[in-house]
Amino acid sequence: MLKSMKKVVTAAALGALVAASPALADYPEKPVKMIVAFGAGGSTDTMARIFANYMAEELGQRFVVENRTGAGGEIGWVALAGSPTDGYSIGLINSPVIESYPITRADTIGYSMDQFRPLINVVTDPGVLAVAADSPYQTLADFVAAAKADPNSITVSHEGVGGDDHLAALTLASKAGIEVNFVSFDGNAEATAALLGGHIDAFEGNMSEAAAQISEGTVRALAVWSSERMTQIPDVPTGAEQGYDVISAASRGIAVPAGIPEDAYQTLLAAANNVVADEAFQAELANLNMPIVPIAGDDFVSYLNNSHETLKELWAENPWLEQ
Amino acid sequence: MDAVLVGLTNVFTLQAMTVLLIGTLAGMIIGALPGLSSTMGVALVIPITFSMSPESSLILLGAVYVSSVYGGSVTAILLRTPGTDASIATALDGYPLAAAGRGAEALGMATIASLVGGVFSVVVLIAIAPPLSKVALAFGPQEYTILAIFGMVTIVGVVSENPLNGIIAAFAGLFLATVGLDNFTGGQRYTLGMRELFDGVPLLPALIGLFSVSQAISLSLPRSGGILEDDGALAAKGRDLPAWLDLRRCFRTMMKSSVIGSIVGILPGAGTSIAAFISYNEARRTSKNPENFGKGELEGVAASESANNAVTGGTLIPTLTLGIPGNAVTAVFIGGLTIHGMIPGPKLFTDFADVTYTLIFSLFVANILFGVIGLFAGKYIVHVTRVPGGILGPMIMTFSVIGTYALRNNMFDVGLALAFGFIGFFMERWRYPAAPFVIALILGPILEVNFRRSMQISNWDMTTFFTRPLSLVLIALVAAAIIYPVMQRQKSRA
Repeated sequence: MLKSMKKVVTAAALGALVAASPALADYPEKPVKMIVAFGAGGSTDTMARIFANYMAEELGQRFVVENRTGAGGEIGWVALAGSPTDGYSIGLINSPVIESYPITRADTIGYSMDQFRPLINVVTDPGVLAVAADSPYQTLADFVAAAKADPNSITVSHEGVGGDDHLAALTLASKAGIEVNFVSFDGNAEATAALLGGHIDAFEGNMSEAAAQISEGTVRALAVWSSERMTQIPDVPTGAEQGYDVISAASRGIAVPAGIPEDAYQTLLAAANNVVADEAFQAELANLNMPIVPIAGDDFVSYLNNSHETLKELWAENPWLEQ
Repeated sequence: MDAVLVGLTNVFTLQAMTVLLIGTLAGMIIGALPGLSSTMGVALVIPITFSMSPESSLILLGAVYVSSVYGGSVTAILLRTPGTDASIATALDGYPLAAAGRGAEALGMATIASLVGGVFSVVVLIAIAPPLSKVALAFGPQEYTILAIFGMVTIVGVVSENPLNGIIAAFAGLFLATVGLDNFTGGQRYTLGMRELFDGVPLLPALIGLFSVSQAISLSLPRSGGILEDDGALAAKGRDLPAWLDLRRCFRTMMKSSVIGSIVGILPGAGTSIAAFISYNEARRTSKNPENFGKGELEGVAASESANNAVTGGTLIPTLTLGIPGNAVTAVFIGGLTIHGMIPGPKLFTDFADVTYTLIFSLFVANILFGVIGLFAGKYIVHVTRVPGGILGPMIMTFSVIGTYALRNNMFDVGLALAFGFIGFFMERWRYPAAPFVIALILGPILEVNFRRSMQISNWDMTTFFTRPLSLVLIALVAAAIIYPVMQRQKSRA
């Protein structure tokens, strides 16, 4: 009894010490703001709002989504980087886009990667290369052979220069030694319509956007750019299976401004780990065809660092934007 | 067939009707406030639908969507503050009518035209959605290029008063349309290093500035009256509803605009304003008195409003049948559908047919609901034109600032709207029309992007526009729209 009393007293004393810096004993004591760099109703926002609801359940405080959109996400990430470090501002980050801007927009960029402390990766949505159902290309090999026979003749869509779709197709082209004719689209909807209408030959996009069309058979995926086949589209072989080891994905995770109190970070991390393990959360994301790939804490930090370094090398080798 | 009946019975329950009424009223208010767009309305409602049944949530989303497009017409007509680009063409004739004391009549015409357009497009959606979705696919970048030019032909019509100033305004709009990151190369164009301009000059802050803020400044000037040019006497003369003869006269225009709106709606990436501009221009071209357009012609209101509401049903066709959203609002819709486990695509008409038909019938009812509310309330709402400018001006300014900030939670946009407000104010003073400026600003990027896409696909072969049947048909329509009025004028002179 006495022993446990002593423990309590020690704990209280320690607590008082910690509390000397602004009290965080009961973090979070007020609603937490979650900055989302893309518009309300989009796929990033949808995931963010579902995640915010589950975080709120875990921690007993509301997580309020604030959409700060523009400049392909940069405006939201600048806002996140400059947010107070009291633990009441967190944000959604999209990789590899967030690591690419400090490289491609070096002159004007408003944040640096070390202003963020990554918390957890939630979704990793692999790239797919797809053709219309009536396309002559049955396999990736057919596609590559046709591109070799007539360089620059096959039109391939992507959603903006320097995005993960574009980089994936560029990587394939360099590994296969082919040249394709890239056509830039503003979004998945227009690109899919152009593919189904026969205006372009192939579509490079993310799995979650194409999964419904693939399972209905209106679109045929030639390859998925993941290390293993995806349960959402089990019949689609990976690039590596067909001899082209291309790995590409769009990831969505959570980060906080660097310098938030360690115990707030740990509280958020524990709650986030519970959320991604929650079956109800998993079911909601399964409906959206978004594969959950949790990478937590320091693992997520090194994951982003590696990706940043890879992009830097790729850029040094062959800058993909006009400068 | 069973699913159709289930859908019908789902809509005619007390609960569904309550949701419909709430959604319709909310949508009308959202649409009327400057800065609150249909997209935002639907996005605001999505979190509420998480806890609702799939049927109720779709009913709510659908009602907010169709009635917010209609709601935009109210302020466009009475205050010349179109809430979104969809109702710019409505303001061209609606506002002169309101200023002349015929606001209630114009509102009535807008309501009936919206009702006709909305119901027409829902009927199209029920009857021939799957075959029509093929139309969406037939349009490639080449066709979108010509379509954007078709929309721009409207500029020729609206500048007839003062062609030189109109053309200068249009070129200024085109120039501003080039600002932003070039999505084809990644390079920056005229962004001045400001990341708020990377996506281009944000459209809604520009619109709110040019129309709402400039109007607020005009109204707030000392010795300016209210909206009514001559209060009292004029308002008493105005009718509460459009005359039967006027309605009959505009019926052809309403039907034609409904067809144009439904077709343009089907095309992802075309946009509501193209439908309204093309329809407005068509109505002017075939009118017996084209010179009345822009000065207060009910037919202009009818054309724009039936077109922009016909777009609502049209945009749902590729959304529901192909899973390809017809515009930003329906993209948010898809999010709402998938949350409830329904994947947009052919399965919506088989596996989830009852829910899908519930949505379609609720759109039908929502159109009628806003029609009834609008016709009944029009004669009361119109009193806003009698409010003194000194009160109305600051109110419009307040809503404009709040609405602009709410778009992206960004003070930059507010500053931009204020700057455009002053530009708009002086443009009006010095007789540079705002409409050509805005049309060029909206259609410029659609034209540029699709032209460059066409060039990428064809390897810089210009003949690509002339070797595709659909593209040729569109070129013929554009040529007719330009040449026909000239021939008419020649004939009347002879």
